[in-house]
Amino acid sequence: MGPYILSGLVLGSISAVSVLGLVLTYSSSRVFNFAHGAMAYFIAVLYWWLTDDQGWSVWPAAIVSVLVVAPLLGLFLWAIVFRRLTHATPVVRFVSTVGLWVAIPALARIIFPIISAGSDVQTRGLGGTPPGQFDVLGVTVNWNQATVIIGAAAVAVGFTILMRFTPLGLMTRAAVDSPRVAAIAGINPSAITAISWMLGTMLAGLAGVLLSPLLGISEIQFTLLLVVSLAAAVLGRMTSIPLAFGGAMAIGMIQGLSEKWESANLGFVEFSLDGFKPSVPFVLMLIALLAYQGLRREQFEVDLRAGPTEEEVAPAARLTGWKAAIGPIAVALVLLSVPIWLNDFWIGVVSQGVALGVLFLTFTVVTGEGGMVSLAQVSLAGIGAFTAAKLATDAEWPVWLALLAGGAVAVPIGLLLAGLTLRLGGLYLALGTLAFSQLLRFTVFGRDDFDNFGSGVAIDRPEFLGIDFSISGGRDNFYYLLVIVFMVAALVVVNLRRSTTGLVLTAMRSSEQAAATTGISILRSKLIAFGTSAFIAGLGGGLFAVSFGRATNVSFEVLVGIVWLAIVVTWGVRSVLGALMAGILYVVVSPPTDKLSFIFVIIVVFAMMGETARLIGSKAIYTARGALLGVGVLAVGITAIVLLLPVEIELSEKAKEVPTLLFGLGAVFLARQPRGVLFDVMNRIRLRQLQRERQLADGATAEAAT
Amino acid sequence: MNSAAEPVLVVGGLEVRYGDARAVFGVDLEAPAGHVVAVLGPNGAGKSSLAAAITGRVPPAAGKVVLAGHDVTGKSASSISRMGVAYVPEERAIFPHLTVQDNLRVLLRFAVPRDDRAAAVERALEMFPILAERRRQQAGTLSGGEQQMLALARVLAAPPTLLVADEMSLGLAPRLVDLVFESLEKARDEGVTILLIEQYVERALAFANEAVILRRGRVVWRGPAVDAHAELVAGYLGSEG
Repeated sequence: MGPYILSGLVLGSISAVSVLGLVLTYSSSRVFNFAHGAMAYFIAVLYWWLTDDQGWSVWPAAIVSVLVVAPLLGLFLWAIVFRRLTHATPVVRFVSTVGLWVAIPALARIIFPIISAGSDVQTRGLGGTPPGQFDVLGVTVNWNQATVIIGAAAVAVGFTILMRFTPLGLMTRAAVDSPRVAAIAGINPSAITAISWMLGTMLAGLAGVLLSPLLGISEIQFTLLLVVSLAAAVLGRMTSIPLAFGGAMAIGMIQGLSEKWESANLGFVEFSLDGFKPSVPFVLMLIALLAYQGLRREQFEVDLRAGPTEEEVAPAARLTGWKAAIGPIAVALVLLSVPIWLNDFWIGVVSQGVALGVLFLTFTVVTGEGGMVSLAQVSLAGIGAFTAAKLATDAEWPVWLALLAGGAVAVPIGLLLAGLTLRLGGLYLALGTLAFSQLLRFTVFGRDDFDNFGSGVAIDRPEFLGIDFSISGGRDNFYYLLVIVFMVAALVVVNLRRSTTGLVLTAMRSSEQAAATTGISILRSKLIAFGTSAFIAGLGGGLFAVSFGRATNVSFEVLVGIVWLAIVVTWGVRSVLGALMAGILYVVVSPPTDKLSFIFVIIVVFAMMGETARLIGSKAIYTARGALLGVGVLAVGITAIVLLLPVEIELSEKAKEVPTLLFGLGAVFLARQPRGVLFDVMNRIRLRQLQRERQLADGATAEAAT
Repeated sequence: MNSAAEPVLVVGGLEVRYGDARAVFGVDLEAPAGHVVAVLGPNGAGKSSLAAAITGRVPPAAGKVVLAGHDVTGKSASSISRMGVAYVPEERAIFPHLTVQDNLRVLLRFAVPRDDRAAAVERALEMFPILAERRRQQAGTLSGGEQQMLALARVLAAPPTLLVADEMSLGLAPRLVDLVFESLEKARDEGVTILLIEQYVERALAFANEAVILRRGRVVWRGPAVDAHAELVAGYLGSEG
């Protein structure tokens, strides 16, 4: 028993240090930092580089990493990203920190080339190499473990003293309690927020440095650190530091003790506990969320001074009649012409992208229209994919019928999920769906009949009406099929938006309370949105699996889903074209090959970012400048793709991180300008016009007055 | 009172915009040292926007705010506060989750010199015995009146150069309204210049030296408070036509 308690205590201590930082930054800025684990990773890699590559001894390296570099990193990120997020929408807040989560590890690997993406290395611990050992109550403790426990205790004591008994602590508590009153009292709330981000990053860094000698530096370990911290923060209701600290210790203890038993025998049935340990944080998180439901909503005061600094004008009116069809038809023509100007390999890749585009429409419905951040959509897609694969391969249903069945099966599960979590607001909905999704992953998808040791379940391409869709002869046909499915699904989404349900959802996004007082049923509309999005997710998941030939767990990991959502939001979460572009982009950049062309493609794709979608279908494109801009971007994009795709250049390890980094920077950019570059440009042009009109109007008023 | 001295507050051509909507149009205002200036007007006249622009919570779109000779236009709320401006809004300027004592420590921190901080907190607590009794209680658990006492205690313990009182008596029982005005009188006697935004027109005029009436974001009347007799004010404050 002893060693398990020790291991639990050590795990708990590390995540307790980490969650302290998470809760501190959340309390002071209302930004829930999904990049917290990534920051810990960055500092841990720095520590490793100093000790291993530069030959520093452990204590100076730890002090420089945690006490010098970490606060600077925190300050830097606060200045470029977090500062702007407090007043952003929940979706933008979420996506921007996810972007950093992806970008920071990539940056660490570019700066410190000693580590590569998949590697797992041990660092030297603060307890000496090899660490000395001693016995406590018959349990052998090494000094690395002891350092962790002592470190966590010291942090807890130091932090309490800082918060309770120092002027800085008093002012921080005041600024957290009410930034508005703090400003009236002469406190600069921004300075307090900056300091809390520095402290938060220090705590993340300390957790990283303590973790790396015990569990090694790998992205997986640091994601797990984030996950436990998320769960502990939820247990502490996001803002209670003692509760979160205790929650982290409790999760660590349960996880530590769970290693003692590999299976549970209830006499008549034996459970494998393989999936238990990783599920612990999620089970606790879900229980806590359901128990806290309605007790506390994300609420914060809005500081008027810090509102949007850029003045914005309303977007141009949407087109009506035949002109409205021009944009969609142009897109359809470009899509249908793809087989003419791409080779077979790229048609295959773009097919997967279009299939993923169908899947991504699920985000257009639930996040774009519904304004809800659901992280379970990827699991619904997984359900669709596995259902379709099982039915088509094992039960020998026709593939097209199996695909539809996959979509249908996802619906009741989506509705169940909606019933459980819809009352949770904003961030809590995201965390609740995350927990649900992970539990599904460990309890259902992890089973051997689905996982099949990682290789998943095979599924063939469909064949009906005598058309050949197979890889050998019907590659183009399959591509056309996907394009048609996408268009039908997009039409459904656009019509949903224009329906009463869509109107209710739009009203709800502006103000849920106001919408409710008009007598419309918000719950009903949310359920319709969730149900539709579940069907689209299931169908899209099935199509995505077909385009790969297999339904595998790797394709539908929860973290993959989070990155998907981030990409869709970066491209424009209200636009069906945004979903399609995001799908193609994701497939184009994600295959791990060493071809330079990917980098060019992603740069081009970023240049074309999301806003092209918004331009098409709005009157703005019919102004000379708008049209020139749109056509120019499109022309450059297509030319670049055609010219550069065949170019193959071997990439160094460093360069392979660049696309990931770019994606992350895209998300950072999102924080600065939530509606994208082109919007910004158009906005400036229209703003200048408006100002001119305003001056004229003011002049007229003045004249009338005299 | 020496009205020839430099005015504590000079507002010139102040304009406040929220996006396309304009709340305040070119307002001029002057508050001589030690005077009480009442700002009156119907709902939506721009009184609170004016106060927000003066205290730095909303950046003015145009115009100037000069505080004791220093141009503070566009400065942040915290730096204006540190220049000796106390702002007491209708919606209780307190920290609900801090104790009464911690509230005073924060509120007074930048209002008094370093070595007077502890003493100022004690002074504030002495002024309202009920607060001293509840010094370790969270301020959010106090009644509305007690919360307003907390805000007043801050003002009285460290008299500011300028007090912007924005509808302080709103929603308080008559006895507490009396207390608010008594405290304001004390502050004035200490030499505090007061910009008084009030809904109790009669009481405000009885207390103020000058009055300014706003309507739809513009000054429509200004003059000595004694001249602002009932009919005149009623004419301006009556329903929007």
